[in-house]
Amino acid sequence: MREEKTIFQNVDWFTICLYLFMVTAGWISIYAAVYNDEHKSIFDFSQNYGKQVMWIGTSFLLAIILLAIDGKFYAAFAYPTYIALIFVLIAVLLFGVDIKDTRAWFQIGSFRIQPSEFAKFATNMALAKYLSTLDIKMERLKTKIYSFALLAIPGGLILLQNDTGSAMVFAAFIFVLYREGLSGNYLLIGFFTALLFILALLISKLILVSVILGVAILFIILVRTNRKNMLVIAVGVMLSIGFVYSVDYAFENILEPHQKTRINVLLGKQTDLKGAGYNVNQSMIAIGSGGFFGKGFLNGTQTKFDFVPEQSTDFIFCTVGEEWGFVGTFTIIILFLVLFIRIIMLAERQRSTFSRIYGYGVASILFFHLMVNIGMTIGLAPVIGIPLPFFSYGGSSLWSFTILLFIFLRLDAYRFQIMR
Amino acid sequence: MDPKKEILYRVYVVFGFICLFGLAILGRVFFLQFVEGKKWKDMAQSLTTKYINIEPSRGNIYASDGSLLGTSIPIYDLRMDVNAVATKIFKDDLDSLSMGLAALYQDHSWKAYRSELSRARKRGDKYCLIQRGVSYTQLKASRLLPIFRLGRYKGGLLVIEKNHRAKPFEKLAARTIGLYQEGQKPVGLEGAYTDYLQGTGGKRLMQKISGGVWMPINDDNEVEPQDGSDLWTSIDINIQDVAESALMDALSKNAAEHGCAVLMEVATGEIKAIANLARDSSGNYFETYNYALGESMEPGSTFKLISMVAAMEDGKVKPTDFVDIEHGVKMYSDRKMKDSHEGIPNRMTVQHAFEISSNVGISKIIYGAYQNHQSDFVKAVTRMNVGQSLNMDIPGEAPPLIKNPKDSKSWSGVTLPWMSIGYEVRMTPLQILTFYNAIANKGIMVKPVFIKSITNRGNAVKQFQPAVINPKICSAQTVAYAQKLLEGVVENGTATNLKNPNYKIAGKTGTAQIANRDYGYKFKSTTTYQASFVGYFPADNPKYSCIVVVNAPSKLDYYAAIVAGPVFKEIADKVYSSRLDMHQEYFGEPATTLAKANLKTPAAPNMMVGNREDINKVTTKIGIKTTNDGTSEWAQMTLKSSEARLANATPGKGVPNVQGMGLRDALYLLELSGLTVKTNGKGLVRKQSLTPGVTFEKGAEIKIDLL
Repeated sequence: MREEKTIFQNVDWFTICLYLFMVTAGWISIYAAVYNDEHKSIFDFSQNYGKQVMWIGTSFLLAIILLAIDGKFYAAFAYPTYIALIFVLIAVLLFGVDIKDTRAWFQIGSFRIQPSEFAKFATNMALAKYLSTLDIKMERLKTKIYSFALLAIPGGLILLQNDTGSAMVFAAFIFVLYREGLSGNYLLIGFFTALLFILALLISKLILVSVILGVAILFIILVRTNRKNMLVIAVGVMLSIGFVYSVDYAFENILEPHQKTRINVLLGKQTDLKGAGYNVNQSMIAIGSGGFFGKGFLNGTQTKFDFVPEQSTDFIFCTVGEEWGFVGTFTIIILFLVLFIRIIMLAERQRSTFSRIYGYGVASILFFHLMVNIGMTIGLAPVIGIPLPFFSYGGSSLWSFTILLFIFLRLDAYRFQIMR
Repeated sequence: MDPKKEILYRVYVVFGFICLFGLAILGRVFFLQFVEGKKWKDMAQSLTTKYINIEPSRGNIYASDGSLLGTSIPIYDLRMDVNAVATKIFKDDLDSLSMGLAALYQDHSWKAYRSELSRARKRGDKYCLIQRGVSYTQLKASRLLPIFRLGRYKGGLLVIEKNHRAKPFEKLAARTIGLYQEGQKPVGLEGAYTDYLQGTGGKRLMQKISGGVWMPINDDNEVEPQDGSDLWTSIDINIQDVAESALMDALSKNAAEHGCAVLMEVATGEIKAIANLARDSSGNYFETYNYALGESMEPGSTFKLISMVAAMEDGKVKPTDFVDIEHGVKMYSDRKMKDSHEGIPNRMTVQHAFEISSNVGISKIIYGAYQNHQSDFVKAVTRMNVGQSLNMDIPGEAPPLIKNPKDSKSWSGVTLPWMSIGYEVRMTPLQILTFYNAIANKGIMVKPVFIKSITNRGNAVKQFQPAVINPKICSAQTVAYAQKLLEGVVENGTATNLKNPNYKIAGKTGTAQIANRDYGYKFKSTTTYQASFVGYFPADNPKYSCIVVVNAPSKLDYYAAIVAGPVFKEIADKVYSSRLDMHQEYFGEPATTLAKANLKTPAAPNMMVGNREDINKVTTKIGIKTTNDGTSEWAQMTLKSSEARLANATPGKGVPNVQGMGLRDALYLLELSGLTVKTNGKGLVRKQSLTPGVTFEKGAEIKIDLL
């Protein structure tokens, strides 16, 4: 029998250190981003950096509470938490306040809360619970449908809030499903669809269709193949061609005008330096002008003089890029990569399937945020307003990422006590 | 595939994907910062856009005649990018620049400037302060100094424009106009109407081009600034000037602590002048506080009118009733009330008791009438809106205090008699004036107002109408009684020194003791006085009401008529001379009779008034005996049994006498003296609308009727 250790001896301190470092770096970046001469103190509560102190403090408190709760609790309460959050998401559609065209917030006094942030860990818990059921097989259609439904319900509700960015986060779970046995073909199909979408917008349909046909014919000639595969290829080619011709329709009729411009700007088909392209352009100026060592702490000109909008929230990465240069951005990206790999390693050492799947979910969600957020600031992804984990200003997001991470750390600390 | 290997394979795929993505980001950042770095850096320098706020111009404040009372003028802060100057130039010209600055601003020695500039250069100061609040002329002179004349880039002179709120008439009504300074709560009219004055800011999208200069991107502003509206006050700058200097004279003559004077138009309540002066530690007087509005004091004898009006309206007393003033001393419970003058006959009319401001007389009337129903007196007083705040637009009005018998803590057995003569009540000068104005205005109480209209670019934004507080504070009979009481004060009472032949003043003096903070009224030596005079003029047809309060005169005189009265008189005289419509029309007898006389003696030439030399020439020529009774250029001829006498036709100063003249002479004379002439009819001037000899203001209008 293993000697009982306290939770604080079992918990993974390496991850906690990474977490603390990132939150602190985020706070300093917010200070640099919205710094002004009139409010020099980093603890000035009228400014975002002062308020962030409060969010950080409450997050620490949350973390300690989460670590103190019995590890069995999380698996047991996965579904109730999920269902409760679904109701809250419905409630926000009915009673929430409208901010910047989205209805994603509750307002209680001067205090605002964004339930979609909390839907992330709730969904992660529910998915982990479902996939850890004893006789589950990812190959079965039923499993796929149920898993998809678990993701689609919160995703759809958030989409109804008109918060496309947060809804897209649920696509990140494809990595979890892949790890749990979903065929790699789905990843390929997803990748291929995205590629076709972009190409269809960029180049002539006729050329694209010729290329698809050419590749298919080459494949059939070069790779000896049986009838069944021939059929798959034929269906695939037909679907692709259909998709290519429906892209225009989808683009024109389904997407919102601002989404269209953002995509067009990203693809270089449209320049719009005062509108959608403004943010990205300013952001790239900020990062691009940073150089190797950056302009120095509080010396950034682009972020400081309000050129970059949303500089303390979605575009916080610019401040780092401008003031700390390549060294700063390199450090941050390495930190995140180390965090992801650490989480995946921890996940792989779990004896409980629930803990493992939950861990993958944590890594996927964080990874998706990093990918989209930084991709947006450096002009690789369209402008989608989602925060950079642990860095961006905001109570809801910091709390939500803290909860997401520390539930996993609690599960990990508890791994010896469960056998399954 | 082995399930274990399969899983491991999948984990590696995920790892690989994450690392690949990390590399992609780093690659992109590397690309942005190093491959495209120069492009983005240049852009950061040159292609930065920003919305710049455009300050709206703050509206002006005008006097009633359009003189500017408050306006914004540009001032400049001078700074210097000391590093911009080439070493050799800096070394060679530093001394002459320092001398130039010292000579121009005269605040530091040239050596102080030199050492400050050299120190700034050592620490590499790019924004060294040279001088704040520089005027445009000083700025122009500064630009010509050595080094600075090399311009912005080689000379390093940086000019920061700012707006400064200025009062062109400086001290005049300064406290009422108020103060506007960035970051401070504006006071006075500037504060009360700041929402109208300030306008709304605009926005303009600007681009930073090389050299850190901001250039507008579009031709138009993105958001146009809306300039502030202009405020037209009722202040008459000339009367204000007189009020201010008359008050100043009175204050310094009596070494008083502070004082105020307010002139109000009877019918509209418009404040034409408001002066507030207080002595500072150096003994000079400045506008520092709006006493007229904000200082609530025991009014003393000026309150007696309110007591009397209340009692007369309740039918308790008439001016013709008699009262025994008991040799000027009366005990109320344990307190002794004394009159200021002793040895006056005991029995007199109420009118006379009021005229000599007998404390015993007035308090006896009121005490006698109300002692059994003391709250009726308070009711009668408050019914006339006395005891109510005026709710002025300008903040800072002190609320009045009228005690109530129901409040047994503050109401004592002697409250009523003392209240009737203006103690144990508190009112501001403006509140008292408002009551007197109502008496002048036939019982209609109007609110004092400072603002006539608000305009924006000449278009009316808001027009202010007279605000009636109470359309009838008492009956017409009571008004007539009250007016008679006030006229009597100047005719036979305490203010006979204000009597003058031109127009009648009605009013009341008030010499109140001010309670000492430590000793109350106990010791004579610690007592200070407040002298006030409040009234209206002309008494027959009241046009203006006015109050003058002089606080704590420290010379021998403290009687109101001597301390405050002259200020009132001076203001009233000024108003009288500028408001010619207040003058009675003058029908000159001599001209008409002369004209008739002339018709009867057709032999004599028809030349009643004219150039003395010309008349002499003519009369000598035709052989009429002529006597010159004066030497003035213009002569008036009288014919008596074929002898002509030439008297001086016009008074030496003031309005010329043109009666009897032809239009050509009359026009010449009148216009030469600065009057604007309106004519009616033809022939000889029979009647002129202004009395010969009275003083007038340039440009005043005179009507002449010709027959």
